Amino acid sequence: MLRVTLGALALALPLAASAAPENYTLDPYHTYAHFAVDHLGVSLMWGRFDKSSGKFMLDRAAKKGALEINIETASLTTGDIDKGSRPRSRDEHLKGADFFNVAEFPRMSFKASDVRFDGEKPIEVAGELTLLGATKPLALKIERWVCKDHPFSKKPMCGGNASGAIKRSEFGMKYGLPAVGDDIRLYVEFEGYKE
Amino acid sequence: MYELLSSLQELLRNPIVQSSVLPLVAGLVCAAVLYPLRLEGLGAAAGFLVAVVAIGNFAFEPLTVTRKIVVLGAGAAIFGALFDLAVKPTRFTGPALGAIFGAAALWVFASVLVQKTPLEVATLGAGVVALTAWLVTATVSLHYNSARSGAAGLGLGLGAGVSAVLGASALIGQYGMALAAACGGFLILLMALGPRVSAGISLTLTASVLAALLSAGAVLLAQLHWSSLAALALVPVIVRLPLPETPLWTRPVLASVYALLAAGGACALAWLAPRGWTF
Repeated sequence: MLRVTLGALALALPLAASAAPENYTLDPYHTYAHFAVDHLGVSLMWGRFDKSSGKFMLDRAAKKGALEINIETASLTTGDIDKGSRPRSRDEHLKGADFFNVAEFPRMSFKASDVRFDGEKPIEVAGELTLLGATKPLALKIERWVCKDHPFSKKPMCGGNASGAIKRSEFGMKYGLPAVGDDIRLYVEFEGYKE
Repeated sequence: MYELLSSLQELLRNPIVQSSVLPLVAGLVCAAVLYPLRLEGLGAAAGFLVAVVAIGNFAFEPLTVTRKIVVLGAGAAIFGALFDLAVKPTRFTGPALGAIFGAAALWVFASVLVQKTPLEVATLGAGVVALTAWLVTATVSLHYNSARSGAAGLGLGLGAGVSAVLGASALIGQYGMALAAACGGFLILLMALGPRVSAGISLTLTASVLAALLSAGAVLLAQLHWSSLAALALVPVIVRLPLPETPLWTRPVLASVYALLAAGGACALAWLAPRGWTF
C-alpha cells in the first residue's frame, strides 16, 4: 500500500510543480512604457519612459496573477531634449511641475492582482495606477502574450504587449487642457524571466 | 445668451486672461471694497486666489508642493489681515515673520527635500529658508509705504513669474504673474486715491511669501537657475531708492520701475544662466 501511495505521489509531483505560482522579474532592457497624447487636435504625440522595474506572478491552474511595475518618470523622453533658442525643451517641460513633476514624484507605479484569463493566457490585468500622488483604477488589455525559453540562455520567459487608457486630469495633471489632450493612451512592452 | 457664455468661458480659459486681466481686476475690486476697513492690502491675495481658481489646478488632495504654496500664501494673507487689524507693527515684525514663514517653507518643500542627499537637503533647505526669510523680512518692513510695498509686490510677482516660465514651469509662472497683476490692481487704487491707501502687512507678507515660494519652487521643481533668485532678492531693496514727493502718482510708477529693474535682472539670469552666462 505504501509503495502504491509513494508511486502516485511521484507521478503527481511534476503536475503539482507546473501548477504552482510562477514568479517573473521584468527585464528592464525589454520593458518600456509609452504614452500617446493628442496635441492641438492635430497629431498624436508619443513619449516613452526609459527606465522601469517590476515583477509578475502567474498561477495558470488557479487562473490568478499579480503584476507590479514601477516607472521612473524622470526617464521620460519624447525626442525633444535640446531647448535651442526656446525657454525650454518639451522634455524639460514635461518633467517639470506642469506635467509629471518628477522632482516631487519621481516614480509612478501600477499594481494589479485581478487578472483575466482566456485558457492559459492572461488577457487583461486590472489594478491601480499611482501617478502624482493620486491612485486610480487602470485596466491593461494584454494584446500579445508569449511564453518560451530564451533562445540563447534557455531561461524560461514570458512577455508581450499591453495597452490601456487614463485621463490625466484625474491625476491632477491639468496643465495645458484641452490643447494638450486629457485622454492618454498607454502602451507597455514587457518581458520577464522566471525566477 | 449661450454664445455669450460660451465665449466668456473661452476667454477665462486663456492663460493670459487667467494670469493678468482677471487677477488685476479682482485685486483692484477687492482692494477698493476693503479700503473702508483698512484691509485693502488683501487685494493681492484676492487677485492671486481668483487666478488659482481660474487656472483650475488646485485641490487639497494630494497636497503637492505647488498646492502647499497656495495654502501658505492664503495663510499669509489671513495672518497679515489679522495683524493689520489687531497689532501695531514694530521693527521686529519683519524679522519675526521672516523666521516663521522661512521655517514654514520647509514644510512646503519637505516632499522634495526628503528625496535628496543629506548635503543637498542641507544646502537646498537652507537656501529656501534664507530666501523666504529675507524676502519676508525686507518686504514686510516696507509696510508703512504703500507705493514701495505695492511696487515690491509687482516686481516680486513678475520676476518670479517670468523667470519660472523661462525655467520650464508655466503653472508657477502663471501664479507669479497673477500675483504681480493683483499687486498692480492695488497700485491703481493707490494712484487713484493717494497715500491714504495702505498696503499693510496683508499685502507685503502675502506678496513676499508667495514670490519666495514660487521662485524656490521653480528651482526645485523645474529648471530655474539659482542666480535668478539672487536678483529677485534685490527687489525689496531697490524700491527704497529715492522717490519724488509730488505729483503723487509718480511715486508708485517710479517705485515700480525700480522693482521691474531687479525683476528684469532675475528674468535675464533665468534665460542666460542655463546657457553659460553666469556671474
